[in-house]
Amino acid sequence: MAGQATVAGTWVSRVPHGGSLTEVRVVRPMLMGRGSLFGGRLRGVASLDGEGWTIPNGELTVGAWGEGFVDRRHPHTYFHELMVSGLERIGGPEGRVQVSLSAGKGFVAFGSDDPMNRVTFRYPVNHHWSQILERAVLIGGVAAGAVMVEGSLFNGDEPEEPGQWPNMDRFGDSWAARLTLMPVRGLEVAGSYAKVHSPEHREGAGLNDYKVHAMARWDGMAAGHPLYAMVEWARVEEGEGAFVYHTMLAEGAYEIGPTRLYYQLERTERPEEERVLDTKWRTIRPHLDNSTLGTTRWTINTVGAGREIHAEGWPIQVRPFVEASFARATKVGAGVFDPEVWYKGTDFWSVSAGVTLAFGPHALDHRMGRYGVAEQADHPHAGEMEGMHE
Amino acid sequence: MSRQPVTIALLTAAIALMGACGSDNGPNASRSIEMQSGDDQTGAVGEELAPLVVRVLDANDAPEANVEVTWAVVSGGGSIIPTTVLTDGGGLASATFTLGPDAGNQQARASAAEADGSPVSFHATAMAGPATQMMKSGGDGQTGIAGSPLAQPYSAVIRDAFDNPVAGVEVAWAVTSGGGSVSSPTSTSDAAGIARVTHTLGAAAGPQTVTATVEGLTGSPLTFSSNASVGIRLVTTVGVTANYGLHDTFVRDGLAFLCAWNTGILIYDVGNGFKGGSPSNPQFVSSVVTGGGKVHNAWWYHSPLGAKKYLFVGEEGPGSIGGTSSGDIHLVDVSNLSSPVEVGSYHLSGAGTHNFWVDEVNQVLFAAYYNGGVVALDISGSLPANLATRELDRIQPGGAGNTYVWGVMQHQGAVYAMDMVSGFWKLGFSGGSFAIAGGGNNVPERYGSDLWLHGSHAYTGTWGFRAAQGNAVKVWQVGAGAPVLVDSVITELIGTVSDVQVTDDGQLLVFSAENGANAGLHVYSLADPAHPTYLAKYLVSTGLHTATISVIDGKTYVFGARNPSSPALMIFDISSLLP
Repeated sequence: MAGQATVAGTWVSRVPHGGSLTEVRVVRPMLMGRGSLFGGRLRGVASLDGEGWTIPNGELTVGAWGEGFVDRRHPHTYFHELMVSGLERIGGPEGRVQVSLSAGKGFVAFGSDDPMNRVTFRYPVNHHWSQILERAVLIGGVAAGAVMVEGSLFNGDEPEEPGQWPNMDRFGDSWAARLTLMPVRGLEVAGSYAKVHSPEHREGAGLNDYKVHAMARWDGMAAGHPLYAMVEWARVEEGEGAFVYHTMLAEGAYEIGPTRLYYQLERTERPEEERVLDTKWRTIRPHLDNSTLGTTRWTINTVGAGREIHAEGWPIQVRPFVEASFARATKVGAGVFDPEVWYKGTDFWSVSAGVTLAFGPHALDHRMGRYGVAEQADHPHAGEMEGMHE
Repeated sequence: MSRQPVTIALLTAAIALMGACGSDNGPNASRSIEMQSGDDQTGAVGEELAPLVVRVLDANDAPEANVEVTWAVVSGGGSIIPTTVLTDGGGLASATFTLGPDAGNQQARASAAEADGSPVSFHATAMAGPATQMMKSGGDGQTGIAGSPLAQPYSAVIRDAFDNPVAGVEVAWAVTSGGGSVSSPTSTSDAAGIARVTHTLGAAAGPQTVTATVEGLTGSPLTFSSNASVGIRLVTTVGVTANYGLHDTFVRDGLAFLCAWNTGILIYDVGNGFKGGSPSNPQFVSSVVTGGGKVHNAWWYHSPLGAKKYLFVGEEGPGSIGGTSSGDIHLVDVSNLSSPVEVGSYHLSGAGTHNFWVDEVNQVLFAAYYNGGVVALDISGSLPANLATRELDRIQPGGAGNTYVWGVMQHQGAVYAMDMVSGFWKLGFSGGSFAIAGGGNNVPERYGSDLWLHGSHAYTGTWGFRAAQGNAVKVWQVGAGAPVLVDSVITELIGTVSDVQVTDDGQLLVFSAENGANAGLHVYSLADPAHPTYLAKYLVSTGLHTATISVIDGKTYVFGARNPSSPALMIFDISSLLP
């Protein structure tokens, strides 16, 4: 068992129609459970997320969008992950090939890790380009040495509210594949492709997404200290080419003792849609047609620092942090949406400070959304070290 | 052992005592009383029944004379005479039971002292008596929309002299003021004594009356009064698959062509007679999904020679508002309304179509084409599969990069176009060619939407958010030269005016609104066409995307397209709002 929650205050210098806004919220209240049977050959993971209660109207986040929220990051569903995986090594205990089959509700094997447990507090704008989350998904995986291949079948519809389950009538209407190479210890290079049918219209009348993603990730040591770095690029084509969005993100974290310094650079394009009149933070759902108001590109630099406080014998980890972002929004291509008009300016400052409390193993560094052979690659001894044993 | 005989003796005495005290009419009674006749009679309340008769027998079962029999009413409130009587030589005693005033079961009894079987109960059923009076039971004093049925029927209750409800009485209903109608000239009272009728109010606002008459009854005639007000009445709702839903409805000759996105065109009989439909009871005829789906709008073309073969269908593909668009015009053969089939299309590279207007006299289709401007197609004669060969001309009124035309309408020899970006334009169309005649770049603070023209005025909608919200209907003076803005009607708490139309008689301005607490259908008076005045609204929380006016059987209806999440065709009667 593990868990975490963050209490944070965020100030943003510019919000829709101008003006600044400060909010204090409890975000990412998570309870996570992992277990295994049969020497790690059968594994389960459950992640419960309480954001539907703590941030029902989303989290103030520069550039964020998705699931009907805009300029605010949406709350996740109560059952963030509920996955079971079976693993088998072909050729006996010494066999080089391992296969897995994972099923349940969770992340599709696509793109990069869930931002919830990466380096920045601020969710990146590309959350919906680089991850496919909270779907009913069936994942087959094969790992042989430094090569891993995963294929996913899932429902295309994304959640519309925290209590909503995937539309099982649509299971199998979308698919994804990911190839991961691990040439040296700590280095991971991956490429993904996905066809997602009508992600933004639950009944299936919306546009399809065709997503390509590539990433390289390093998680090792440098000059005797832990160093993490990741770069990713993605391209998403909607409506058979009617809309094309790109994202590029690079981030890194360097740990010196209990102190962690981090930086992220993101350049992501997002669709602009008509907003609900009386909130400005929500877009009209369900959609009435397939048009947008245009595209904006968000270039965001984020720098931050956190410190690990873990008193001997105390079960709670405490990680205070502070981070600042500078963002610039620019209009891309055609369309009536003009950030200069909507926000009365195009430069954004954001400062967040808070503290994350966590307990349990890997509460803060667990790579969420990796199952079967992918999880095995992260935690090769997971079945022997954690959870229930046969 | 010495106590056993005492115990047995006590038990014996107790059993004997129990037998002696068990009942007055027990085995020791010297006589008995039994029913002779008069049970289970039926009569009207207050009616005297046939005598009730009992017989008294002695211990040897022989008739016993001079035994006093007492009579009493148990229930129902009636009377019985005499209350005491001696049996005659045949052991018989009788009494006369007059039913009480309460309809239903009533009861009397006869008893004799020390007689086995006493008392004897007699049952009778009392029926309501003849109707003597009538009074109002419900429905009086309502307020409804003029020209529309009231929500509740009028009801009159018929009673007898004892206030019991009387069934089977025919009540005559008649409209006595207001000019409306009743659902039936007569109705018959039911088991509860109630007769009902539904009052459809007359067209005029104000008090209206209906009488209920039964000759000879106290209270007759009754006068029911209700008040007719003007307003919008929802006639019926037809659900549409959430796929995404309904965008527009074209209504002509009593047929409604519902443009239901990926569900295609749905044809309903709403008064044509083809399937026996009406506005209150639309009947499905057929459907067709045109290529690519995304069905947005339609126009059923009636040629000057009377042909009704073609339905033009607009496909609204994905686009960025103000910049890019996609979607073709699809040509559907509806010669057989039961089996429509797509037979052609028109594609304009780099742009997509939106609303149509057809000059049926000159056989020209004008299509708003968003960033493509306005396109004119020759639709005379038999049309080819590829309508590109029929293109006459096209124009981008605001110029490249400044054109995104929502709608187009021909009026008094000119073609008017509402451009979301560059405003309201007047175009000339002569010899198959467009020319700018005036206007443009005249709504800088808002994005434009739909348009309608009538007489010397035009009415244009606004959309989304520019420097200001799209909550205005712009009123223009049109004629020679460029349109001149003369008024701007603002509706608070809406985000978009999505469709605009004027009744053929020019009396009412109707528009649909989306995104906000005042989303729904709005109706304005055009008594002064330059300055519309508010009349009524019908709120629809998810908004109406379009509102199409059609006159069917003399009544003026609006066919509204309700937005998701529960998309539907909503049919409104706005007749009462007409002056």
